[in-house]
Amino acid sequence: MNLIRQALTVVRKDLLLEWRGKGRLISVLLFGVVTLLLFSFAVGPDSTLLRAAAGGFLVLALLLSSTLGLSESFRVEQEQRAIEGLLLLPVDPIALYYGKTLSNTLFLMLLAPILTPVALILYSVELDLEGLAVLFGLWTLAAAGLSAPGTLYAAMTSRLQSQDVLLPLLLFPLVIPVLMGAVKSITLILTGDPMSQVGSWAMLLASFAIIYWSLCGLLFPHAIEEGI
Amino acid sequence: MSPSAADSTTPAIQTAGLGKRFGRQWALAHCDLQVRTGEVVLLAGANGSGKTTLLRLIAGLDKPTLGSMTIYGMDPAQEKLACRRTLTLVGHDNYLYSQLTALEMIQVWTRLRGAELAETEAIELLREVDLDERRDTPVGGFSAGMRKRLTLLRTRLEEPKLVLLDEPFSALDASGQRLIEEWIEGYRSAGKTVVLASHNLPRSSRLCDRAILLHQGQILWQGSGKDLLDRVGTTV
Repeated sequence: MNLIRQALTVVRKDLLLEWRGKGRLISVLLFGVVTLLLFSFAVGPDSTLLRAAAGGFLVLALLLSSTLGLSESFRVEQEQRAIEGLLLLPVDPIALYYGKTLSNTLFLMLLAPILTPVALILYSVELDLEGLAVLFGLWTLAAAGLSAPGTLYAAMTSRLQSQDVLLPLLLFPLVIPVLMGAVKSITLILTGDPMSQVGSWAMLLASFAIIYWSLCGLLFPHAIEEGI
Repeated sequence: MSPSAADSTTPAIQTAGLGKRFGRQWALAHCDLQVRTGEVVLLAGANGSGKTTLLRLIAGLDKPTLGSMTIYGMDPAQEKLACRRTLTLVGHDNYLYSQLTALEMIQVWTRLRGAELAETEAIELLREVDLDERRDTPVGGFSAGMRKRLTLLRTRLEEPKLVLLDEPFSALDASGQRLIEEWIEGYRSAGKTVVLASHNLPRSSRLCDRAILLHQGQILWQGSGKDLLDRVGTTV
C-alpha cells in the first residue's frame, strides 16, 4: 500500500513539474508535429501512399518524440541532484520506477490528441469517433510499452553527457516489437480492418507492456543505485 | 538488526577498512571509524581529504570499494531501507525541484516517507527557517541561503537518529548559522548522533565532542575540537 502511495506521490510531483514548466510538453509536441510534416514532404502529394503509411509515420513521430520526453524527465531529477534527495528517503526504488514510468506514459498519451488530428489532416485520412477511440487505446498501449524500458534507460543514462545519443541507441532496438505492433494495428484502424486483426496486435502490445513493466521494475533498483 | 533493537551501546557508525576509489584515485582509504550513539563528530580536512566521500558512503549514496560498515548494527548493503529510515544527509546539493514551492517540497518529502503533514504543520516548520512567507514561491526563485535552509529542514522532518551534515554552515547568514548550531545542540540533547563535515572550524569545533582530521583520504588525527583548533588553527 505504501508502495502505491509513494508511486502516486512521484506521479503527482512529476505532473506538477510538467504543468509548471510547460516547455518540455510544448517542445516535444512541436517536435512530433514537425516530424509528421517532414514525413509528408518526403512522400510527396501521393495521397494513397500517404494514407497507407500514415500509421507508421504516426508511431514513428511518437517514438522519436518519446526519447526527448524521457531524457528530459530525468534531467529534472539531476538538477540539484533531486534524485539523491529521493533516494536518501526510505523510498522503495520500485515505487520511484513505477511513479516515473506512469508519469512518462501519461506524458506520451498527451501527445495523441495533438499528433493524431495533425496526421489525419496531413495524410488525408478520415476516421470516425469509434476509430479514434480505438486508436487512442492502441496509442496508450504503445506509450506504456515505450515508457517502461525508456524510463529504465533514461535513469541509467541520466548522468552521462552523451545521454541524448545513448538513450535512442539503447531504446530503439528493444522496442521494435512495440513499434511493429503499434504500426500494424494503427494502420489497420486508419486503412480498414476487414480481417479483424487489430485485436491480435493490441494483445501483442499489451503483452509487451506487461513484460517490460514487470522486468524493468525489477531491474530499476539496481540501475538507479549504480547510476546516481 | 532493526533500529529499535540496537541499544545505546551499539555504535551509531562502525567502519572497518572502508575505502572508496574513483578511477585510480583513492578518495578514502583504510578508514576505521567508530561513532558512538549520541556523539557529535566533526570531520575536518582540506578539500579532497575524503570528508564528503565518507559521508556519502555512510548515507549509502556510494558503494565502498573496500571494507565494511554498520549503521546502528545494520549492514547498509543488506538493510538499505532500514538504514535510510535511521539517517538523513544534507549534502552539497539541495535536492530541490526548481518549479515546486517550498510547501510542495516539504509535502513531497513527507509523503514519500509514508507520513502525512497538515499544511499548518508544514508552515510551522517553514517558520523555523524563516521561509513561511515564501511558502508558495517556487524554490527556483530562492537565494542559495534560502535553498540551504529549506534543505536543512529535512533533518527536522525526517526525525532521524543519525544526522549527516556536509558543510551545513555554507551559504547561510549569521542567523542561519546560529539556527543550525541550536539544532545540533538540540540533536545532542535528544540523544541523536551527528556527523558534520565543515571548514568553519571555530563554529563547528565548539559543537563537537570529537574532531577527526582527514588528509588525502586517511584519518590523520582524532581529538577534541579545542585540540583541533590548537593543531591546525581556524582554517584547514
